[in-house]
Amino acid sequence: MSYGPAPWVQRHWDLRAAANFVFGGIGSGVIVFASLAGARGTPAALALVAGLALVGAGLFSVWLEIGRPFRAIRVFTNPRTSWMSREAYVAIALAAMALVAAWMHRAEAPAATVAGALAALVALAFVYCQGRMLNAAKGIPAWRSPATAGLIVTTSLAEGAGAWWLVAAAHAQGTRGALALLGVLLVARLLAWLAYRRTIAGAPRAAAALAPAGWALAVAGTLAPLVLLAVAATMSVEAWVLGLSAAAGALALAGGAWFKIALILRGAYNQGFAVPHMPVRGART
Amino acid sequence: MTRWAMIADLRRCVGCQTCTAACKHANATPPGVQWRRVLDVEVGDYPDVKRAFVPVGCQHCDDPPCMHVCPTTATRKRADGIVTIDYDLCIGCAYCAVACPYQARYKTERATFAYGAPAAHETKRHDPDRIAVATKCTFCVERIDAGLAAGMTPGVDPEATPACVNACIAQALTFGDLDDPASNVSTLLEGNRHFRMHSELGTGPGFYYLWDGAGPDGGVPALRKLVEQAMELA
Amino acid sequence: MPDRPGAVAATASTRVPTYCYQCVAGPDLLTVKVVDGVATEVEPNFCAAEVHPGGGKVCVKAYGLVQKTYHPNRVLTPMVRTNPRKGRDEDPGFVPISWEDAYSLIAAKLNAIRAEGLADASGYPRVAATFGGGGTPQSYMGTFPAFLSAWGPVDMGFGSGQGVKCYHSEHLYGEFWHRAFIVAPDTPRTDYLISCGANVEASGGVVGVWRHANARVRGMKRVQVEPHLSITGACSAEWVPIKPKTDAAFLFALLHVLVHEMPRKRLDLPFLAKRTASAYLVGPNGYYLRDRATLKPLVWDEARGVAVAHDTPGVVEALEGRHEVDAVEIGPDEALLAQGRLPGTTAFTLTAEHLAPYSPEWAEAVCEVPAARIRKIAREYLDHARVGETIEIEGVTLPFRPVAVSLGKTVNNGWGGYECCWARTMLAVLVGALEVPGGTIGTTVRLNRPQSDRLKSVKAGPDGFMAYPLNTTDKARWSPKPNIRNAYRTMVPLAADGPWSQALGPTHFSWMFLDETPKGLPRVMPPDVWFVYRTNPAISFWDTAEVQKRMARFPFVVAFAFTRDETNHFADVLLPDATDLESLQLIRIGGTKFVEQFWDHQGFALRQPAVATQGDARDFTDIASELADRCGLTREYVTAINRGVAGVPLKSAAWNVELDAGRRQSREEIWDAVCKAASAEVTDGREMHGLDWWKEKGFLTRPYPQLDWYLLPTLVEHGLRFELPYQERLKRVGAELGARLHEHDMHWWDRQLEEYQALPAWKDFPGVWEAALREQGGEPEAFPFWLLTARSMQYAWGGNVGMQLIKEVADNIAGHRGVIVNGATARRLGIADGDEIEIATPHRSTRGLAVVREGIRPDTLLAIGQFDHWATPYAKDFGLASLNSLATMSLALTDATGSGADVVRVSLRRAGGARRGPR
Repeated sequence: MSYGPAPWVQRHWDLRAAANFVFGGIGSGVIVFASLAGARGTPAALALVAGLALVGAGLFSVWLEIGRPFRAIRVFTNPRTSWMSREAYVAIALAAMALVAAWMHRAEAPAATVAGALAALVALAFVYCQGRMLNAAKGIPAWRSPATAGLIVTTSLAEGAGAWWLVAAAHAQGTRGALALLGVLLVARLLAWLAYRRTIAGAPRAAAALAPAGWALAVAGTLAPLVLLAVAATMSVEAWVLGLSAAAGALALAGGAWFKIALILRGAYNQGFAVPHMPVRGART
Repeated sequence: MTRWAMIADLRRCVGCQTCTAACKHANATPPGVQWRRVLDVEVGDYPDVKRAFVPVGCQHCDDPPCMHVCPTTATRKRADGIVTIDYDLCIGCAYCAVACPYQARYKTERATFAYGAPAAHETKRHDPDRIAVATKCTFCVERIDAGLAAGMTPGVDPEATPACVNACIAQALTFGDLDDPASNVSTLLEGNRHFRMHSELGTGPGFYYLWDGAGPDGGVPALRKLVEQAMELA
Repeated sequence: MPDRPGAVAATASTRVPTYCYQCVAGPDLLTVKVVDGVATEVEPNFCAAEVHPGGGKVCVKAYGLVQKTYHPNRVLTPMVRTNPRKGRDEDPGFVPISWEDAYSLIAAKLNAIRAEGLADASGYPRVAATFGGGGTPQSYMGTFPAFLSAWGPVDMGFGSGQGVKCYHSEHLYGEFWHRAFIVAPDTPRTDYLISCGANVEASGGVVGVWRHANARVRGMKRVQVEPHLSITGACSAEWVPIKPKTDAAFLFALLHVLVHEMPRKRLDLPFLAKRTASAYLVGPNGYYLRDRATLKPLVWDEARGVAVAHDTPGVVEALEGRHEVDAVEIGPDEALLAQGRLPGTTAFTLTAEHLAPYSPEWAEAVCEVPAARIRKIAREYLDHARVGETIEIEGVTLPFRPVAVSLGKTVNNGWGGYECCWARTMLAVLVGALEVPGGTIGTTVRLNRPQSDRLKSVKAGPDGFMAYPLNTTDKARWSPKPNIRNAYRTMVPLAADGPWSQALGPTHFSWMFLDETPKGLPRVMPPDVWFVYRTNPAISFWDTAEVQKRMARFPFVVAFAFTRDETNHFADVLLPDATDLESLQLIRIGGTKFVEQFWDHQGFALRQPAVATQGDARDFTDIASELADRCGLTREYVTAINRGVAGVPLKSAAWNVELDAGRRQSREEIWDAVCKAASAEVTDGREMHGLDWWKEKGFLTRPYPQLDWYLLPTLVEHGLRFELPYQERLKRVGAELGARLHEHDMHWWDRQLEEYQALPAWKDFPGVWEAALREQGGEPEAFPFWLLTARSMQYAWGGNVGMQLIKEVADNIAGHRGVIVNGATARRLGIADGDEIEIATPHRSTRGLAVVREGIRPDTLLAIGQFDHWATPYAKDFGLASLNSLATMSLALTDATGSGADVVRVSLRRAGGARRGPR
């Protein structure tokens, strides 16, 4: 047994910060997926704007959390080393690119797809920044894992795909290819989670705290939607296909979002303290 | 060059919390904020139990994660190893706080006082600039700078030495220049076994923990060396 | 801007030198930083580093003084009670009054007493006063002692913790055997220390911590014998978990190993023969065999083969053996018990025979420490003792015995205290380690005189031993009419009749006897006026509920009040005194003093107002002068000050700064004179500095020889022996006391009389508390836990329970947020860390949070400190369990010295409350 100030869950970042990762991830994912799914025209424009709005909501949420919100502009001052600064710059770029691409899609401009792809690349960079932001937090073993960035990126893409499908299916916009892509992303996310999980085995408290969300991610957020997608793939009635796809998208989205909230709020045990050698007091007996 | 560092001798520390209280006085930290904190750690199962008291706080790392993540450059590292925070630049995002593997950083959202309303001494020392931004141990940098300017030696002259070190009633805390091979800290490190906390993270803490003498039987090798030399001479 | 400490718009910043004496291990010399008239920081007085044995550092408690000064709940104006009914549930209805009204009210009561007579119908003083532990209030109450001295008889025997919370047996036996009010290791030179429950890292103050930290790094091995892994246990090389209240068995077994399992020659035989009474011949009735003519105790002279008086020049004392000698044996009341050719046995032989049954195997069954471990510790002790070696101290060669044994609270008080103190002192005696460098030494005297010089208190007494002012037990002078309510002079000969004796009697008797004065003593009634300062017996004594009930019957209580608290809840008048950083006083520092205060310097230190007094609080000296004036006692009061009651006599052969006793003197005039006398004393009259000089400098000292840390040279100089191992005098005194009591048909002290044994034997000490449990209707199986307490470095003696800073930092140490429970025990009872638990005796219970740790015996619970507040602001919200509310005050739990111990048998269960987080 060992009693002392064991690691405890960090309280510096709360749901407001978690919302940044959730909304930012979904928003970026939507933008990326819209591009990958080959969306065009108004649906693509809507996806870009909605994705951007989600990213904005996330950033607004975290703005509510910072202690000195009116100094927020200073967040741009350290892109040299800070992934938070980089995230901020990328967010600006993303806003510009997404709005341009959305306008071009709305206007059905010939290069809209290229603009959308560029926006998707910037969105990818945005979630990568988010992943690296967590990864750079050395004080939190569950975040500083080398697999964190990969997990954050894949789950964001899967969440975005899920969200895209949720909306797209409702508007009967989906394609079988996009459906398969969702499946691929879900598998990728599952693999990223499994890889990540191995890296946090040395942080048992965090691993235990994340286990329920991990199971939820694997079962409700991955296996269940994959089954739904598989069933949907065998269906010929479009309404059934769309309905099942929407359900799969919702599960993919919810599983990822739930996991990220857990990652920020529950699995975020700090490093605690370590005394590798107990002191020798007077004599070594 | 100068590299300021602190040493905590775990053999000496008794967990009296005098350093913690002295730090709170010197730095006027609000309730609950302990830039210098002393842990009470117990290891083992009854009856084979060990208990130790471990001073912690900002480790003034060689490669401080808090500095790298800071989006505003509020956290910086001086050439002498001291990691500082510019409260006027800090936006209070607390990214540094989650990046610090030593739980050394605090953020106080609103002014808090010991008994609710501020007492006279709290009013006198309350600093609104420290609200909603990151704060942490500064190694009492202003004492060091003022002391150096006055020709004093930090770690030796009390006026130029961190308050916790001045206050320590067990001589468990020592402060000095790591780059000076003859300094108090260099001598202690040479003569004793020591570790740095979470060294595997590569942060290079400027805070060392002594846990035993360096000789085969513990004790002070420097002393033993002197005795041996004396015997050889004889 | 870069980092900075607070927005200090320092326009006028100064550092004011002063002292902190909040605990018995003080004083600590410090400076207070004052910015624009506001105290902001406490720092060590770095100028004191050269003269202070703790590097001039300051204890954590001192850092609470700034908060204390500006505490929002301070009483800042005199208050008077408006509700005549007193009780815990009664609102006192305090309302502010002017100082004039407060003084008038108090003076009217006091003058009425003077008119009627200073003693009540039973002969007890009508005025009583209770001050906090360890004499600490005396360093804060200015000239109030001079007022009390001018007043006349005052009952200072109402306890507030004395006896139960102090090293009671050690105080009495320690002073008796080696002028050691407190016994300490010679830490800077000790190599091996057995510490039975002595928690020096929590109660030894700055100096204790400093010295032991140095000793650890030097390589001193300390073995901590204690039921829980205390701070001191943590900082020791070894922890030996021992069953509570069985330390005597452990120590007896150590003695057994030294005497029966080690070669005799490894003991310090010359020391035993020459410096102790080991060679004295004991007769068939247990008293020394004496020379017919001189009545001096006899020893067998090995050189001449005859019995001779112990002080015969050139005698070679036979340490062991039996010899038939021509002698007389004198018993109690000078009765001639035997004469002629009498069989005599040396005290050492009797001691060895006495120790024979106490083998480590026997002890293991009692104290649950493995026999092999006891043997190992005994051997290590002997191996480190360096018998035969010497050391030079300041040019004088002394024996060097770097082994010591220290005892802590609950070990050295209450039943078993005598046995432990005797065994500890014998461990030193066997290897010649008593009062020598490296060994077990005394600190100061409080029962012998003069208080200021331990060595000067050594005077030749009977039988080659030091004189000791035992309270008389002879038929002519013993009286069943005590001078104060706790009857120390009547019941406890060892309590002596010195400066502190009133507070070292059975101080709970003052409370207990209010309702049930036992047969033979005059009826005990409450005092007409009770002064209370820096103490809170309603919280800090044992059986606090009962103490509160009896306190409620006191007709007029004057409490010097910092904030409201549980004791001044029963007061009639609250007087706000200027607190630590606001008031003025000069005290004596240095030399050797309590706990581990062994200085290389001695002198005086000034406490001065660092900041203006808050509200309408007043300096204690002003209050004392005013009360003296209104009682018509100014002449006596100033005369007492002149005599030295304020700390230093104002007149000597070389100087005279006496004050005019014919008129009232101001506070500044008084302390200016005291300062001048003090500086003259320190400089042998060369310098005479007034108050202003002292305000600037803060302290003044001169060297104090380390040689004076040790009593042995003085003993040798006087040709005296330590009164060990055999306690002939105590045996006689006990028999005489028994006779006196029985002559007055007083039999309620018979059990205590059994403690007067010449060689203390093991008794079932844990059984004493189990019997007390049965008396309450409980069976030990149903109440299987030993509830203990321990001192807290952050709080002990401090009266600082209401300081947020202290609470905040103390909470970093396990046990300050709840009761420490062993991990396996907790798991067995379904208790998790942070659970609410109930600790109960058959009739009472207390609740708190569980702090689950491994460093405690499975049968032991630990409630640190004494936190059961219900009136003190801030502290009343702690929600902590306290042993004091469970302990019962009883005669059965009182030993012969009049002390009890902090032990209660209890049950433990999870209370079912919400889990509230970790320690």
